[in-house]
Amino acid sequence: MSKGFASNYRIVLLASGVFLGFALVGFRLVQLHVLDRERLVRNVDRVRDSFVVEQARRGDILDARGDVLATSRSLIVLGVDPQALRPEDEAKWPELARLVGLPAAELTRILRTKTRSFEETPAAAPSGPTTLPAITLSQDVDEAAPSGERVIRWTKLSESIEESTYDEILKLGVKGVYGTRSYRRTYPRNGLAAHVIGFVNKENTPASGTEAFADFYLRGQDGWRESEKDGLRRELAQFRTREVRPTDGYSVMLSIDSAVQHMIEAELQAIVAKFNPEKATIIVSDARSGFILGLGNYPNFNLNEFFRAPLESQKNVAITDQLEPGSTFKIVAAAGALEEGLATPGMRFDCSAETTIYKGKSIRLMRDDHEWDHALSVAEIISHSSNRGAALLAMKLGDQKFHDWSRAFGFGEISGFPFGGEIPGQLNRPEKWSGIDITRIPAGYSVAATPMQIHYAMGVIASGGELMRPQIIREIRDSQGEAVYTFGGVARRRVIGEQTASQMAQMLQGVVGPNGTAAKAAIPGYLVAGKTGTAQKIINGRYSNRNHVGSFVGFFPATAPRVVITVIVDDAKVPGGGAGYGSTVAAPSFKHIAEQLISYLDIKPAVPVAGRPLFALEGGRR
Amino acid sequence: MNKSDTHAFVNQLLVYTLVMICFTGSVGLSTVWFRHRISVTANESRKIEASLLEVERRIAETTALIAAEQSPNALEQKNTVMRLGLVRTREAQMVRISESPEQRLASRRNIEIFTEDSVRLAPVNFRVAAASR
Repeated sequence: MSKGFASNYRIVLLASGVFLGFALVGFRLVQLHVLDRERLVRNVDRVRDSFVVEQARRGDILDARGDVLATSRSLIVLGVDPQALRPEDEAKWPELARLVGLPAAELTRILRTKTRSFEETPAAAPSGPTTLPAITLSQDVDEAAPSGERVIRWTKLSESIEESTYDEILKLGVKGVYGTRSYRRTYPRNGLAAHVIGFVNKENTPASGTEAFADFYLRGQDGWRESEKDGLRRELAQFRTREVRPTDGYSVMLSIDSAVQHMIEAELQAIVAKFNPEKATIIVSDARSGFILGLGNYPNFNLNEFFRAPLESQKNVAITDQLEPGSTFKIVAAAGALEEGLATPGMRFDCSAETTIYKGKSIRLMRDDHEWDHALSVAEIISHSSNRGAALLAMKLGDQKFHDWSRAFGFGEISGFPFGGEIPGQLNRPEKWSGIDITRIPAGYSVAATPMQIHYAMGVIASGGELMRPQIIREIRDSQGEAVYTFGGVARRRVIGEQTASQMAQMLQGVVGPNGTAAKAAIPGYLVAGKTGTAQKIINGRYSNRNHVGSFVGFFPATAPRVVITVIVDDAKVPGGGAGYGSTVAAPSFKHIAEQLISYLDIKPAVPVAGRPLFALEGGRR
Repeated sequence: MNKSDTHAFVNQLLVYTLVMICFTGSVGLSTVWFRHRISVTANESRKIEASLLEVERRIAETTALIAAEQSPNALEQKNTVMRLGLVRTREAQMVRISESPEQRLASRRNIEIFTEDSVRLAPVNFRVAAASR
């Protein structure tokens, strides 16, 4: 080291520099911690810990083919701060009105309203078909003005601006117009399968249907992160301390097929147009597994506008309403008697007598629609829908056994449909029966059932003797689309043997035969089995001759059932003043739906339908 | 050159002090630089997250739009508006065949090729080459 560098002069200079430096640092510390403390602490206070919740995306509801029935999408709640508007932006207001979907005059009025009086009710944003009623403006968006009025700091313009539209609004550059994003549930198919899908309300609470029932799978788990934010409330990402990623909800795949559902709802519309009923229900299910392929009710509602729908139309009447099943109930007595070996399809019963002896007493039988000139076989009792014949079959079983058979077919107990407030219907115990109930219940009176119970009772015969559980959820999928859990068909119990089911199916084919009660349900080339039902409604405590519940429940092909279809029309107004018999108001709809299902589900006929060679069959060449 | 012990000690002390100051300063600067980089990276990461969310939002919006366009009602409406005249197939229009359709079509094609009629319909022409000299 050189002598010059180590001279006293330089040492003193360097030491002074170093100490001066430390002194400056010390002074700065004193300045920061003592002199400017108050101001700086205020700034520090603005830089606070930030706890941000990251919302998990709610899973989708899919139909059986993976098409989206319910999904979540971000929509923008658009508002304006009238105080921040600039005069030079006024030329852009008409374009803004177009994008927001408001009349230009209405938008101008909103933008020019800069204050409101204390007493004044906050102005409601106009609500169109796609907008919801405006939220009540709270005090934190208004400020008190010296004049005694409130200065408006935020007025909502629309609650459902799409991302693409919002981009255009931002491009306009109108100062003071801004939006906040939120994930909103949307139902791309509007009212399709509304009673099955259900909806999430405006508080993001699942209110009904699959949305509520499968919420555990759908909702996912919100994430969160702890970090700090700067004075402008921007997150300082480098100070993130803890972070838990959100887990998106699972998707729920239903057994409902959109195409089948659409057929059902189109048919319901046709029924409404033709008969103007009070209510109507159509159910289509897979005969073997019991999965529901489609379920529609009238009245229905649009899921995207659930807040406008009356509560009555939001009810899934297929499980919440009970009705007297009428003749569709006759399958119980017939199947029970066959299974017990008390009758055979060819056994004949005298159905011409008005009375019979039961338990040693003379008992009056219900009237039949026709006079019979011969004793009816069990097959004829079914195909001609004889009330007396059904009663005689039930009497062979006896009160208790007939009751037990009715229970076995699922009447008087909930079917197990997973949601919607299902009711069990009404099937009294034999101790509570009146003397004539054994003549009435076999014909479907003095007993109440839901459309779902009626449907699955017929399903017993279609499935080969098992009572299936109505199932609607087929699969749970994760956010990557992989199946997490798959549901299969569940039999609640075996009710009758396969041989009895086969005999019943054969007898039920007679119903759609030329001499049956529902020839209108016959489909050329196909073996259709089914049963009509017509029950008089109780009006003012008496059975009405003018108000009926008409129904048809059937399945096909009868020898190897693929689908079970139920059509129930409540209080149809038949043109010309006729009665709303099941054969008139329900059987044609059964046929129409079945014909569409044939091509859609590729259900093969028992005998070829086409009478001539087709062009395509010839190899497409001529 | 001053080689006394005092000066040597002071020189060494100064050198060490300077080295220490430089080292500490370097560490401090490095720390600041690292913090800056962490901040920059974190902000970039946040921006990427935001853009990913943006993409997810767009996907969700597009999915909803596609689903709405594919709804049976919308398709039927398009069928009417665009006058496509599409109708459902009726059973009477169908002939169901149990055998393989490919084999059926292939055998039919082969029959057409090898039948006597086909041979007659497709005469073979022979071109006679002219002799040149």
